[in-house]
Amino acid sequence: MKRSRLPATLTALVLLFLNAPLAVLVLNSFNASRFGGTWEGFTWQWYERLWQADEVWDAFLLSLRLATATTLAATVLGTLAAWSLHRFNGRLQHVHRALIVLPLALPELLMGMALLSLFTALHIPTGPLTIWAAHVTFCISYVAMVVLGRLRDFDTHLLDAARDLGAGPWQVAYRVLLPLLLPGILAGALLAFTLSMDDFVITFFVSGPGSTTLPLRIASMMKTSRSLPVINALSTLLLCATFLAAALSLRLGRRCTPPS
Amino acid sequence: MKASLLFGALLACLPAGGAEVLHVYTWADYLSPEAVKSFEAAQDCRVVIDTFDSNESLYARLKTGAGGYDLVFPTSYMVQLLQEQGMLALLDHAALPNLQHLDREVLAKVHDRDMRFAVPYTVGYAVIACRPDRLRGVTASWAMFGRNDLAKRAVLLDDMRETLGAALKSLGHSLNSRDEAQLAAARDVVIGWKRSIAKFDNEGYKAGIDSGEFLLVHGYSGDLFQVAQENDRVQILVPTEGVTIGCDEMVIPKSARQPALALKFINHLLDPEVAAENMEWLGYLCPNREALKRVSAEFLKNPAIAIPGEVKARSEVIDDLGPDLAKWTKVWDEIKAAR
Repeated sequence: MKRSRLPATLTALVLLFLNAPLAVLVLNSFNASRFGGTWEGFTWQWYERLWQADEVWDAFLLSLRLATATTLAATVLGTLAAWSLHRFNGRLQHVHRALIVLPLALPELLMGMALLSLFTALHIPTGPLTIWAAHVTFCISYVAMVVLGRLRDFDTHLLDAARDLGAGPWQVAYRVLLPLLLPGILAGALLAFTLSMDDFVITFFVSGPGSTTLPLRIASMMKTSRSLPVINALSTLLLCATFLAAALSLRLGRRCTPPS
Repeated sequence: MKASLLFGALLACLPAGGAEVLHVYTWADYLSPEAVKSFEAAQDCRVVIDTFDSNESLYARLKTGAGGYDLVFPTSYMVQLLQEQGMLALLDHAALPNLQHLDREVLAKVHDRDMRFAVPYTVGYAVIACRPDRLRGVTASWAMFGRNDLAKRAVLLDDMRETLGAALKSLGHSLNSRDEAQLAAARDVVIGWKRSIAKFDNEGYKAGIDSGEFLLVHGYSGDLFQVAQENDRVQILVPTEGVTIGCDEMVIPKSARQPALALKFINHLLDPEVAAENMEWLGYLCPNREALKRVSAEFLKNPAIAIPGEVKARSEVIDDLGPDLAKWTKVWDEIKAAR
């Protein structure tokens, strides 16, 4: 019997549907037309402009720094939260769980406004620090959820076995628990990094003078900028970087897992 | 160890200390780098620019208590609202000798004519652009949108004040009308136009008229001038019935930390040499008489400058409507719902 072509066609169509906008974006980054309506010829000028566009790079660097600082803090705190939720029971843990889930369920708009009113009430001037605090607040939840998922399949007997063999509490944590949780922790960290990198709504509320992040900058360029294709060029570069990173991690992942 | 790393990362995020810092909050690409650089050199300070994407987000930010911006660039109607809320600082004219260069004609149209709180920065008009190569018999009139040969290849702005305002103008009324009968008549005009347009849209019209996807669009003179400069098949028309005047102004919020430096920056931007360079870079018109004598001939073709005097006289700035806004929203909803 001949195999049906339908699944293959469907897959191709879905892939096309998902990736066509990206293709248009990459194409337009080389389009000489400023408005992207028609193909006016090939050009590198948007990449040259991007190279000189200090304000775009400043925003990009700020976003990068914030995302790194957020990832560090949220990963540590989120992992600790997940561990304590998994390990200990008690009435307070219900409250703890609710607090962790809340930022996932809360509309971003509400969260942004709530955080801003808190900062204003405490007379904390908004800026990079408040953006960082806000990002950590919602990233903790994502990290905790991913690590909790990993912990659910975790065999606690391994910890008992390690203790039986004479390992102290730190040794157990450092040599047994941490390595086994690492894939979950790394996945959570990656998630936190991306979320922090492209958050718009919450950042909009808690940013202040001198803290325009990349998403905020792009939103304002949509309206008035005369060199919008610069954003296409930057997006193309980011896309390449993402593909490279993904390919690299795939490669490393293959090397680490033994062939089955 | 990790904590100190974190702290370091945070510190790196903060702007470096030292010289005085002026925080400017404006639209993207709305100040020429040269104008900023010469100010920094003259005053030995640093200018930090943050950008917003709409007057409403600017308002939300200032209203919720975000302070620290020294100089802000809202549109006229937002200036009016901010001033009524008591959020703006009075301008000390003694520190602004360059105010003398401002175009009096433009000042006569804006809300704050004596510049007590706001100084006009750029002026633009909402006009129409068309493709005479594909559309025969074009006229400079809002009635163009009522033609039955557009075949859904036209776009009106998705902005209640602009589009209803254009309809009111086409009927010979004020575009700040609060009269319900006039608004109802304007509604019927727009519903008639709706049959010949593809959609209401604020962003895609530049690419659309450039590529020929649309034959007739309603948009801002500054943006359409940029398209016309690149594509000579695009022609800009200023409807003779009168158009809306858009004016972005410079204001100093009461919460500013460096009001004196902000005043100096306003004065610097009004300097004819600086203003001429700045507006050529921006592509928008700065209403500065002395500066206009110093710009290139190409720039003078900008429809915002070349607009005929009698059309200018019939044009108006959009005012804040206060409680009467509800009348407009009701009519606009009826237009959106109409088939």
